Amino acid sequence: MSLLSIETMTKEYDGVRALDRVSLRVEKGNIKGLIGPNGAGKSTLFHLISGVEKPDSGKILFKEKNITSLEPHERAAVGIGRTFQTVQIWGNMTVVENIMAGMDRRLRGGFFSYGFWFPWIRRSEKEALKEAKEILGSLSLLGKWESMASQLPFGKQKLLELGRALAMKPELLLLDEPASGLTLTEIEQLSERISQIRREGVTVFIVEHHMGMVMEIADEIAVLHNGELIAEGTPAAVRRNPAVMEAYLSRGPAGKRERH
Amino acid sequence: MVEKKKEFRKRDFFYLVPLWLLSLIAPDPYLYHKKEFRKKDLYYLVAICLAPLIWPDPHFHHLMVLAGIYAILSLGLGLFMGYAGQISLGHAAFFGIGAYTTAILTARYALPTFLAFWASALSAALIAYLIGRPILKLKGYFLALATLGFGEIFLVIVRESTDLTGGIIGIFGVPWFSVMGFSFDTYLKQYYLAWGVLTGLFLFSKNLVRSKVGRALLAVAASEDAASSVGIDVPKAKLDIFVLGSAFAGLAGSLFACVMSTANPEAFSLGFTTLIVMMVILGGMGTIYGPVAGAILLTWLMDILSRYQEFSLPIYSVILILLLIFFPDGIGTRLNVRVIYLIGYWAKKKKRDEGKL
Repeated sequence: MSLLSIETMTKEYDGVRALDRVSLRVEKGNIKGLIGPNGAGKSTLFHLISGVEKPDSGKILFKEKNITSLEPHERAAVGIGRTFQTVQIWGNMTVVENIMAGMDRRLRGGFFSYGFWFPWIRRSEKEALKEAKEILGSLSLLGKWESMASQLPFGKQKLLELGRALAMKPELLLLDEPASGLTLTEIEQLSERISQIRREGVTVFIVEHHMGMVMEIADEIAVLHNGELIAEGTPAAVRRNPAVMEAYLSRGPAGKRERH
Repeated sequence: MVEKKKEFRKRDFFYLVPLWLLSLIAPDPYLYHKKEFRKKDLYYLVAICLAPLIWPDPHFHHLMVLAGIYAILSLGLGLFMGYAGQISLGHAAFFGIGAYTTAILTARYALPTFLAFWASALSAALIAYLIGRPILKLKGYFLALATLGFGEIFLVIVRESTDLTGGIIGIFGVPWFSVMGFSFDTYLKQYYLAWGVLTGLFLFSKNLVRSKVGRALLAVAASEDAASSVGIDVPKAKLDIFVLGSAFAGLAGSLFACVMSTANPEAFSLGFTTLIVMMVILGGMGTIYGPVAGAILLTWLMDILSRYQEFSLPIYSVILILLLIFFPDGIGTRLNVRVIYLIGYWAKKKKRDEGKL
């Protein structure tokens, strides 16, 4: 049984077919990589999974349930966490508050129970703070737990974003180019951290440009090109696949391969 | 020249003594510790309790009653603007709904004011819910325009439906606020009423903003995509805080009607809305102390300037512009950073270096 399965999904923007009947499965407990040249439709696929955009046709099953029509926050509630391609931490909060805000869906209690600060709220807030500090500790961000998140350097902000996604205890974690803009050492630390996340039982679906990293950590890789799935399999098999080499080495149809 | 210099030094020294005393109580802004903040709150509370006894001047009392009521109003708007990062230019309408609910229930139907007080909050909240559902999907300027439109529609309804609201003349004869036979009939009693209600609502808001609710609001303000990616229901968070802010406005309106013993449409015009928004912006967004400080400052400023007759508005606007230039993120925030920073810096430096704080 696969955790996430995408069935014949199509998405068009103003007549440009960003995704063309893509079917994909992510098995539970795996790290799945998604690669492809620029403009291949990777980000579109991610937006569709996290619910920011809706597909034109096709459906998304998560744990055998159809989640195609759910809003983004409802998808988070069933257990899909994500990070963003451009870092989207909350700069108006402290580092630890960022993590605690990430726990939002796990903290119970309504509006008034928080306003009156009932004893169980006091307890749950205290526990949340403790847990947030543990998460920060595992990301080695604990030294900065009280500084504003906007004051962190870029690499730490990316880590914080990862920590926030982990704070909601997702079953499936979508990572959108986690290595972009990081230094080589930071990338090494990150891949180690991702492997550790997988050992903790979280399934990871990762879009990445940094080929070395994704080949190293992924169990399975899917390759998108011009909105079509051209290869799927283990990293070694994908590397040898002639269609993949073709896509990466030769230029595809003009306009689809423009670089940013 | 020499003598003058000496004088200055002497005066500086006299300033330093109370500042040093203050520094013992003032919190250290370097560190964000909840315990420190509690101490500051206690300090403010004592000041609020003692202020009218130190200045036993009815005019001052009345002014502070108004300031307290406006503070309730801007506190609610401050949550919506400063925390959730939205904008509302129709907040005066909810104030008006509260005032008219109280006026109609007490002056027409002779219900007890205490009951009308809660009914005002409920009616304001209910209307906010009905308005907010569709309107809060808008963002930025469009939200500002929509709320502005709502405020104007409310005014037109109040002016035209003469049977219910008394038209332009309004409703007179709202009784003093009373609880279980105790009537708040002097300015001093009203002072404690208004500031008591404010204190309660302030603590409620403070609990909200330091917990899950406040974090969700700040998250919505900074990035809605990221907020929904961790499971925060963005439209619901906005609607909740809009309804709460409107309920605060309803309570403030109810108190206003009782204190002024009247409700008329003049009080809820566009000018009043901008005044509240100014209170929030001048006081400081993203803090709950700011709107209260802004409310006190502007009420006091308007009162002082009212004796300059036709020059009052130009002077008022110049002062506002200067304040916005020198305190762009609000007097509440900036004062915390500037004054208390300076005061608290030396006194706590040693402790901080030793790592005790």
